[in-house]
Amino acid sequence: MKSLFAFKSRLPVAAMLLVLASALTARAQDPKIQTSTLDHLAAKANQTVDVNIDGRLMQIAAKVFNDQDADEAKIKKLVNGLKGIYVKSFEFDNEGDYSPADVESIRSQLRGPLWSRLVNVTSKKEGIVEVYLMLNGDQVSGLAVLAFEAKELTVVNIVGPVDLQKLSQLEGQFGVPELGIEAPKTKTKN
Amino acid sequence: MNDDYLWDKSGEPDPQVQQLEEILGTLRYQHQALEIPSQPIDRRRSYFPILAIAATVAFALVAGGLWLRAQNQKAQRTERATVVVPDKIKEDVPTPQIAQDGATIQKQKDTPAKAPRLNPRNLVAGSVRHVKASPEAGLTTKEREEALEAKGQLMVALRLASEKLNLAQRRTQSSSPPNLIRNQHKVG
Repeated sequence: MKSLFAFKSRLPVAAMLLVLASALTARAQDPKIQTSTLDHLAAKANQTVDVNIDGRLMQIAAKVFNDQDADEAKIKKLVNGLKGIYVKSFEFDNEGDYSPADVESIRSQLRGPLWSRLVNVTSKKEGIVEVYLMLNGDQVSGLAVLAFEAKELTVVNIVGPVDLQKLSQLEGQFGVPELGIEAPKTKTKN
Repeated sequence: MNDDYLWDKSGEPDPQVQQLEEILGTLRYQHQALEIPSQPIDRRRSYFPILAIAATVAFALVAGGLWLRAQNQKAQRTERATVVVPDKIKEDVPTPQIAQDGATIQKQKDTPAKAPRLNPRNLVAGSVRHVKASPEAGLTTKEREEALEAKGQLMVALRLASEKLNLAQRRTQSSSPPNLIRNQHKVG
């Protein structure tokens, strides 16, 4: 009888823990990365790009794309179905303005079972570039691109089914300007 | 003294015993027939655990809802945050069409009496087409401004995403080992 009473008295606690656990699990499987840990870098950065577009803004933006224009129609098709695009990019004057802890705060979120690292290029001269994909079955549900250079830190997070091939073809096309980054002519030595 | 009264109630009773008998007699067992009620007694169950669980879940849901709402409001506030386009982009590369569109809208708003003076040669082709076309008919001025701002942000984000993806691709290709098959001799 005593054990039955103890069991009943613990039920609410167990229920609350269950709810909390399910909430945390859902959070861990969220393809959106929390980048607020990098906000403090804006004060040190020379240049900052901070873009936060959720599904609602994406739908609003889609309204001003011209379907009659082939280029804009392609971009509209690319972003159709996406639930959000989030970018944080900092360019610094000096090396070491961001710490390994800043990098780790982002990278640690991508160690979940649903994320898989597609590309990891490490170079002492050119820094680190990592591409992560979140897959649900065969479908891509999230993309994260991390670029850590000596004086630059960029995190790109796209939520939703994104076409990598089409996205990579965007640079320099459709009115999307190139940044003039040249392909390295010599082999990268790590 | 005869104790027969205490034994089998025969003999002469002692007054003190008799007095005790009268006092304690009120507590004597009184046989009553078993009465079965015509309607079953409403047996009350203890609903406390179920109610406690329901209250906990309800509280968690309400708290979660409030938290999500607060997050959404916070996100909406940050969405309205400015996009700081690096000077490098502004100076070195053609101006993004969205920035031009945004400038156009701002100009029209600031000087409604004057027609916007835009040199078409300074605009990229996409921008010119965008001014001509009006697929967003039906949007209010405020909605259109918001949409154009969102589109501008979207283009900046896509540019950066594409650039970094290409960077990763180029580095992967440049750091990949040379094609060993090329150095192999044909067999047979």
